[in-house]
Amino acid sequence: MNGVVSEKEVALERETAIFTRGLVKWYGRIPALRGVDLEVRRGELFGFLGPNGAGKTTTIRCLLDLIRPQAGEVRVLGINPQADPVAVRARVGYLPGELNLEANLRVEQALRYLDELRGRRTDWSFVRELADRLELDLRMPIRNLSKGNKQKVGLVQALMARPELLLLDEPTAGLDPLMQQEVYRLLREAQAGGATIFFSSHILSEVEALAGRVAIIRAGVIVEEAEPGRLAHMAVRRVRVRFKEAVDPTPLTRIQGVSLLYQNNGIEVTLQVEGEMDGLIKALAAFPIGDIETEHRSLEEAFLAYYKEAC
Amino acid sequence: MWTEFRHTLRRLRGSALGWGIGLALYALMMVSFYPSIVNLKGQFLELVSGYPKAFAAFFGDLTDLFSPSGYLDLYYFGYLTPIIGIFAAGACAGLLAGDEEKGLLDLVLAHPVGRTALFWGRFLGFVAALAGILLLSYLAWAIPSQSVEFGLSWGQLLLPFLPMFAVLFLFGALALLLSLLLPSSRAGGMLSGGLLIANFLLMGLSRLYPDALGPLVRFTPLYYYQGGKAALGLNGVWLGGLLASGLLLLLPAWFLFLRRDIRVGGEHGWHLPALPWRRG
Repeated sequence: MNGVVSEKEVALERETAIFTRGLVKWYGRIPALRGVDLEVRRGELFGFLGPNGAGKTTTIRCLLDLIRPQAGEVRVLGINPQADPVAVRARVGYLPGELNLEANLRVEQALRYLDELRGRRTDWSFVRELADRLELDLRMPIRNLSKGNKQKVGLVQALMARPELLLLDEPTAGLDPLMQQEVYRLLREAQAGGATIFFSSHILSEVEALAGRVAIIRAGVIVEEAEPGRLAHMAVRRVRVRFKEAVDPTPLTRIQGVSLLYQNNGIEVTLQVEGEMDGLIKALAAFPIGDIETEHRSLEEAFLAYYKEAC
Repeated sequence: MWTEFRHTLRRLRGSALGWGIGLALYALMMVSFYPSIVNLKGQFLELVSGYPKAFAAFFGDLTDLFSPSGYLDLYYFGYLTPIIGIFAAGACAGLLAGDEEKGLLDLVLAHPVGRTALFWGRFLGFVAALAGILLLSYLAWAIPSQSVEFGLSWGQLLLPFLPMFAVLFLFGALALLLSLLLPSSRAGGMLSGGLLIANFLLMGLSRLYPDALGPLVRFTPLYYYQGGKAALGLNGVWLGGLLASGLLLLLPAWFLFLRRDIRVGGEHGWHLPALPWRRG
């Protein structure tokens, strides 16, 4: 019997890239993680979504043994990072949420130093390809780089050794939309090459666009694990419409998921849209539109609304 | 470990060169002054006899100034140790806690490098930088002293650098330990440097008040520091004791680093216990 269980465990370990059970972490008297349970399968592109301060970074840092949880179990690629952190890190590429690099080095020097820590196993033609795709000049001194360019250095160093597992804390922070799309492509390619990608974000649309599966963390607890399609429930937008002439906006409020927040004599309306925008866009085609602005609510607002409704 | 060793050496090379060249120039100047000082012995002794006894005693035996070892002690090894100690304390305090505060350690430790290798690789990098500074100083004393009849061989001139190295090693280790105990690397460096200067002053005062302070200074590292006098015969036990004390300080620092949560954003801070006037 034990032998059967053991085989199952071995199989589970072989299929699981990240496993945490009951992860608890306190910073002094402040609880950062209050029992995080996670299971990420190998080869997945897994999104870790949560508002600022929810525990995303703390979870990732526990996986790398940068910090130690007070309780709970952790396995990364089948290895306990507290027992053998070097073995874990040899197979993981990491992008920190707050990336800091030595300012007096040039980009290439910084990358070569990090490559040395990996035992010089990086293919430098791949580094140059990554740099080209991210429009990063390897000769630039780190001190002269903008936040976005530093982020690109962080992405290159995480990807350059073609690790089995990528732990990326807010990978597109500071990047412009075009570059974000390039990063999405790079991550999908890494996944196609067999890597598992675990990335955190506080941007709903990013997780929706990229992840195959999503866990949502709030106040140190995983509150939901779902397919990204389910996030549409949380995607609440505000749409401000200015009309060329005064109209009766009542038909708009009859569309499912749309409610009227404000109107100014029929010339301007502010609507709240939950879920898909399709119905509203089609309905607006019948109106004399002057201007439309859409605005995503912050994730924290969306969470509050979502869980308020759920209660 | 050697990657971190080389990296630390690369990072410290600028300051090590600055300190090394500065001290070497000072050494060159002092060597070239030596024949003139010896020629002015009579006038100098007359001048010294007019000094207040307390003032003269603070700096040691000023009449010994005309022997090569006394000259070395008074003009170099006696008071440059706390000055170079500033480099040692600052560099060691920054090795781990300093990088942690800058957010640099997070990424480094996410690579396949063990904490033990990181700790010892970096500390050895500091040791090599320190040795480089002292080597430049040694050469600046040893090369010209052969032509100005300084009276000490290459080997004899090397000997005082060994206790100097040992004292700086010890206070460097203390700075590293304190940087991991205190809330900031700066606090660790400042406290360690402050203790070195306090020890230096206490040694001077103990010569003024031998009865009161003599027994106390026996418990301080600089009591076992020979300075320039080591040129006439190195006390191997004292040297070994200083180095062993440094190693003893490194052991708890290493242990603390192995167990440490690497900070990124000021979490897991260090607080004073709630004192009555701080309770809100």
